[in-house]
Amino acid sequence: MGDQEKLVIMVTHGPEEPELATIPFAMAGAAVASDVDVVMGFQGDGCLLVKKGVAETVAAPEFAPLGGLLESILELGGQLLVCSPCVKSRGLTEDDLVEGAEIVAAARFVAEITSATNSLVY
Amino acid sequence: MTETQIQATDVLDARGLLCPMPVVKTAKAVKALTPGQVLKLIATDRGSIADIPAWAGSTGNELLEWHEEGDTIVFYVRKGEET
Repeated sequence: MGDQEKLVIMVTHGPEEPELATIPFAMAGAAVASDVDVVMGFQGDGCLLVKKGVAETVAAPEFAPLGGLLESILELGGQLLVCSPCVKSRGLTEDDLVEGAEIVAAARFVAEITSATNSLVY
Repeated sequence: MTETQIQATDVLDARGLLCPMPVVKTAKAVKALTPGQVLKLIATDRGSIADIPAWAGSTGNELLEWHEEGDTIVFYVRKGEET
């Protein structure tokens, strides 16, 4: 077991690319199930996936639907960080995002990544 | 087809669930057990054959046995001391 591991997963693809949008959630789900601390970072169109009501509309073949994955990730302690300029440029505010999503800026992402065991970018 | 004598405390029916939900649901179910108790998992996702042993190995739980029964895969997982 050893020290607590932390995985940062950056998501840059939105609902128009269901497979690339779903794979980071699948990885995050497996990680939280494995007792790994998970921070998901949403940038670009990726931030649309944590807009209320969107995850439930995304499903990629042979993967679990995104809505259930998101729910499980939050339930098992995963954190959702969303890029502030990306949110603003899409006309969104924190009220538009799912419960638990936190709007942050670049320095926070850098801090999370540099303190993580590993990071993945999708 | 394998007959097993392992007695499970709880059964998780994960048939029809896709990657990675069998592992996610297994983790939740095992958290509800006390160390030493056994979960029987029934899955249809072929990825589980690789996923469940990997998950057990990284979380301190023990995969006691697995086998296929028709289209399903049956696993017996014993909860470890540290999860």
